[in-house]
Amino acid sequence: MTSDRSPWHFPPGAGPAPSRRAILGGSLALGMGLLLSACGSTAAAVLAAPTGTPARGGTLRVGLAGGGSADSLDPHSPVSTTDIARVVNLYESLLYRNEDFVLTPLLALSATPDAKALNWKVELRPGVKFHDGRPVTAQDVVATFARVTNPDDPKSGAAALSILEEVAIISDSVVEFRLNTPTATFDDSLGQYALGIVPADFDVSKPIGTGPFKASGFDPGRQSVFTRNEEYWRENEPHLDELVILNFSDDDALINALLSTQVDAIGQIPLALLEVISADPRIDILNSETGAWLPFTMRLDQKPFDDVRVRQAFRLAVDREQMIEQVLSGNGTIGNDLYAPFDPGFARNLPQRTQDIAQAKALLAEAGYPKGLDIELVTAPIQAGAVEAAQVFAQQAAAAGIRVKIRRVDTTTFFGDDYLSWTFAQDFWYTRNFLPQVNSSSLPTSPFNETHWDDPEFTALVKEAATTVDEAKRNALITRAQEIEYERGGYIIWGHPNQADAYQRYVAGLIPNKTGLALSGFEFRRAWIGVSS
Amino acid sequence: MILKLLVRRLLVSLVILFAVSLLVFVATLLLPGDPAQAILGQQATPERLAALREQMNLNDPVWQRYLSWLGGLLTGNLGFSAASGGPVSELLGDRIQASLVLMGLAALITIPAGILIGTFSALKRGKAFDHAATGFSLVLASLPEFVIGLGLITLLSTSVFKILPSVTMAPPGEAVWNYPIQLILPTLTLALVVTPYIARMMRATMIEVLDSGFVEMARLKGVPERDVIMRHAVPHALAPVAQVIAMQLAWMAGGVVVIEFLFRYPGVGQALVDAVTNRDVQVVQALSILIAAAYIVVNLLADLVGIMTNPKLRTEAVR
Repeated sequence: MTSDRSPWHFPPGAGPAPSRRAILGGSLALGMGLLLSACGSTAAAVLAAPTGTPARGGTLRVGLAGGGSADSLDPHSPVSTTDIARVVNLYESLLYRNEDFVLTPLLALSATPDAKALNWKVELRPGVKFHDGRPVTAQDVVATFARVTNPDDPKSGAAALSILEEVAIISDSVVEFRLNTPTATFDDSLGQYALGIVPADFDVSKPIGTGPFKASGFDPGRQSVFTRNEEYWRENEPHLDELVILNFSDDDALINALLSTQVDAIGQIPLALLEVISADPRIDILNSETGAWLPFTMRLDQKPFDDVRVRQAFRLAVDREQMIEQVLSGNGTIGNDLYAPFDPGFARNLPQRTQDIAQAKALLAEAGYPKGLDIELVTAPIQAGAVEAAQVFAQQAAAAGIRVKIRRVDTTTFFGDDYLSWTFAQDFWYTRNFLPQVNSSSLPTSPFNETHWDDPEFTALVKEAATTVDEAKRNALITRAQEIEYERGGYIIWGHPNQADAYQRYVAGLIPNKTGLALSGFEFRRAWIGVSS
Repeated sequence: MILKLLVRRLLVSLVILFAVSLLVFVATLLLPGDPAQAILGQQATPERLAALREQMNLNDPVWQRYLSWLGGLLTGNLGFSAASGGPVSELLGDRIQASLVLMGLAALITIPAGILIGTFSALKRGKAFDHAATGFSLVLASLPEFVIGLGLITLLSTSVFKILPSVTMAPPGEAVWNYPIQLILPTLTLALVVTPYIARMMRATMIEVLDSGFVEMARLKGVPERDVIMRHAVPHALAPVAQVIAMQLAWMAGGVVVIEFLFRYPGVGQALVDAVTNRDVQVVQALSILIAAAYIVVNLLADLVGIMTNPKLRTEAVR
């Protein structure tokens, strides 16, 4: 019963000194009494966070909520959080967003547009090999994009790549992306994690990529085991021998597994529990500011939101500080009804909108609702805090005469047939820059235009910005477009929740990450296990 | 006579199973959204939905999907899971095993414990043991199972004594019982949830039996007290208790969903919840039929126990 694979007492690291966990696990395995184990755990409380040069070896067991039997290792259609964690560690895209949300070369050395931003030349990083030892070639890149945009079976990235006309091979290590519409920020599309480069003969039953880890065991909805890619192109990385990603369907089980040292790190803990968990001296918290947002969505083409005064009144009814405090337990940044806070063109100078009940009432009266109005708000547990936000909003809005009736549905219903046509609902978005976000959600042609936003002036500005290669000019256009969104848009963006994760102190190499993805953006290539004596 | 009864009961059971399958099928159709939407969630674009629906044969008419599923069932083929793409039998095989292990372990503890505690309480009616047992079982019976589970986890796993693992985890492909220590907390929780019911039922029927005429008669005739209890009272008390045990076992078979969530136990309950969220009709169907069948089988067994422990019926059966 005490095989080496026994998941609750993997020895951390390969150091000579027996670790606290090994002692604890060993005593359990031997069936020794309460006493020794109890002593062991008291001593474990004084473990210090490891520092210095990363130690090589060991297994990192990561617990994540979500996923199920629909889990997959397909690089191009990650759906759940656990899918994303797997994809990030098995595959690599041409570019990626790093921890500061800066677009950074990954499998590409560079991506440069021509003067019109119609053709993008991408130079591949030399010497990168797939898990089976074959080198990455231009053909593989072409095949990868053909797989993603296959009209018979389009993958996650396909919608954003509708502007892609063809991928041409210039040489063995250079490809050119030819677009049908000039796009100055096409490199952002190339930086999506769901665009990992795979070999031309890729088959999802043999998941081969260039990532720091190789797939060695996969049990959908339960767990996946990955081993170190010995030929990884980054020097000295990854540090771990093995990475285990475990699905949990319940937050309680997830946290209990961390507290009983059955897992080493857990992603996305409920913000309300942050304080309690961080009180445990064995546990460290990774609290990352993100640009994620959890908006209320008002449909502009329907009553009462077809009147801009009503939308403004709703925005003025929100006490944003209280929202952050009550919904996120203070772990978030305040929102100003604008998305893309990390975009270089973010409209920073617009005044912060605050609660103004008198003004909201006046606007409602002007719009023909002197006695206030009744509205149904559709909510679902689509993301931590969503349902709570709906409840807090209902309370706050009452003061302005907005009588909110909350209709709570389950997540599948929410994203079912009526998704994108609710009159007043919510949604959830990860961190994105302005133009890619607009492409997804704020153009009449966007696949996820929940607010049915169709503003000619806004669309014209966005179109111009998308084709403007000069960065300063482009950013000015973006700022102007955001002013319009701020004045008459259909989103109520009250805040940007932090991403909080928890891990055992002996885990090192996890750093805050602004993308909104849990646990250092799932970049476990950096993680290592400090053996403390 | 027993045989005739059994055959009749089995035929009725088949009709019930058919009705259940229809009901479940209709119920899953009433859920908003289809498997393609459930799987893609927020990522769904019309193009991706169309492609996935085509892959999953969701464009076939409803009755055709039901009939092909029913036909498969009769030939021992449970169909394919929409979510995982694999055969349902493969997906559920180890889930069912895991649930059976948990159920079996819990039954092994709770049935003897419940009967013993109940019998003693009845014999020591009004004494300290009875009061303690009654009080204790009342408290346990009134607590939701997740409270008991969380209490045990806090006590034995995360906060007070850190001696037991709080969740079940085994490497892919390995069975849960390869790590017996992980089974302790879920089994214990189940045992604490179920035992009070059995004990209370046993106590009640035992008291009734002890007060009845034939026990009094046996005592008056000078039968030793030990024999009065073991040969006359307990067997008579067992039949109604068997019904309670059957209900509890069936309840466990239905997946003690809360317990499976709390301990991350890979049983049928969790599979069922997963399948419902994914609108995975074939899996929901297979599981509901299975659970319904389990209900029928344990109830049949309870009836058998009833017949066997009732001297009158027993002798009739032998004749």
